[in-house]
Amino acid sequence: MYQFNLSATKSYMEVLPAAVVTTLLLSGLAILASIFVGIAGALCRTSNVRVLRFIGGAYVELLRNIPLLIVIYLVYFGLAQLGLRISGFTSALIALTLNAGAYMTEMIRGGLAAIGKGQFEAARSQAMTAPQIYRYIVMPQVFRIIYAPFGNLCIGIVLGSALASIVGVEDVTSWMHTVGSNSFRYLEAFLMAGAIYLALAQTINLLRIGTGRWLLSHSPSATRQ
Amino acid sequence: MQFDDNVAHYWRFFLSGTMTTLWISWLALMLGGAIGAIIAHMRLSRVGWLRAVAIVYTEFFRSIPPLMLFFFCYYGISYALGLNLNPFTSATLALTLTASSLMAEVVRAGIESVGRGQWLAAISAGMTPLQVFRYVIWPQALRVCLPPATGVYISTLKDSSVASVIGYIELTRSGLLIRETTGSSFDVFLIIATIYFVINYGLSLCGGALERRFRIVH
Repeated sequence: MYQFNLSATKSYMEVLPAAVVTTLLLSGLAILASIFVGIAGALCRTSNVRVLRFIGGAYVELLRNIPLLIVIYLVYFGLAQLGLRISGFTSALIALTLNAGAYMTEMIRGGLAAIGKGQFEAARSQAMTAPQIYRYIVMPQVFRIIYAPFGNLCIGIVLGSALASIVGVEDVTSWMHTVGSNSFRYLEAFLMAGAIYLALAQTINLLRIGTGRWLLSHSPSATRQ
Repeated sequence: MQFDDNVAHYWRFFLSGTMTTLWISWLALMLGGAIGAIIAHMRLSRVGWLRAVAIVYTEFFRSIPPLMLFFFCYYGISYALGLNLNPFTSATLALTLTASSLMAEVVRAGIESVGRGQWLAAISAGMTPLQVFRYVIWPQALRVCLPPATGVYISTLKDSSVASVIGYIELTRSGLLIRETTGSSFDVFLIIATIYFVINYGLSLCGGALERRFRIVH
């Protein structure tokens, strides 16, 4: 009979913080980078230049329909075969950014699309400059629309970062696998690692809900709706 | 760069891998849909603890990386329960759990899309709760559920690539094995990526068509 024993993972606890930091670093960097990719992608998709629109659309459709694991393999093994040798962490970061960037693109595009053309015209007729229009007219409204999907996307990136362990990145999932295969304590290791991912995901979730509440109480249009 | 001709000789292997991927994802979608429907009804129940269980269930599987679920279903269950699950069973289980939490939200949205007034009208017409579901709620909810369900199928198809790490020979694993014999990584993964893209993009087009067809004008 299996004896449940959480203390069996004790001797591996000292390497756990480093694993958590790796997971946080990888997901954090991927979130930051994919925001920039997303903005660039959204600008491409809404551009007046047809070629840019096509490239933006093709990028989104390709990356949304190819599994993240395959993108990681393509970057990791593929680039190595072409003579570029990069670490597991870098290739996982590139793959995660490419993947999440596609979703960011669609999210930001959706947010921008919700702002009517008339608002731009009205703002320009008030002699606002382009940076002013984005700062005072576009950004506050887009933020209201995208904060919720953005939170979900961040959770998706944290969960996706687990795949980095396949190319040798020593993150939380890799820690779980090491503990499991060394001590045969897979159940305990799963519970520990699962609790960490759960805490990360739910923290983002609560931040998202908190942002929603904050926006509601600070909304100039709240009474109108 | 020259395309490796050797890789093309393995087309049968690519094909069987594709079939396996489609099959296991379909299986997981169906099982996950059944479990998800139960969870969705619990979520909308008037009984407080049923709602709580449903929320914990969906939030839990939404917060755990699929890769960890695969590890757990393969190694964790084997050691903890002494069950010897083969890769197929473990992979189906892991995929079903992930799909069920997604389907729960889809089904819930479907049921909620049917106005409350219809429920009240049906009850006042003397229908039993089961009859209301059978003849009023479910037929309408199904139309709303179908388009997002294709999205869940796409997501399950993508997740099924992770089954390769526990040794289940689906499309990705086939690719890894072909890569080992031919030694050309880029070509193999390019082919694999193309196959996934064609399937998933086709499905998303179908989903879009379903959405247009089933759009309910309020």
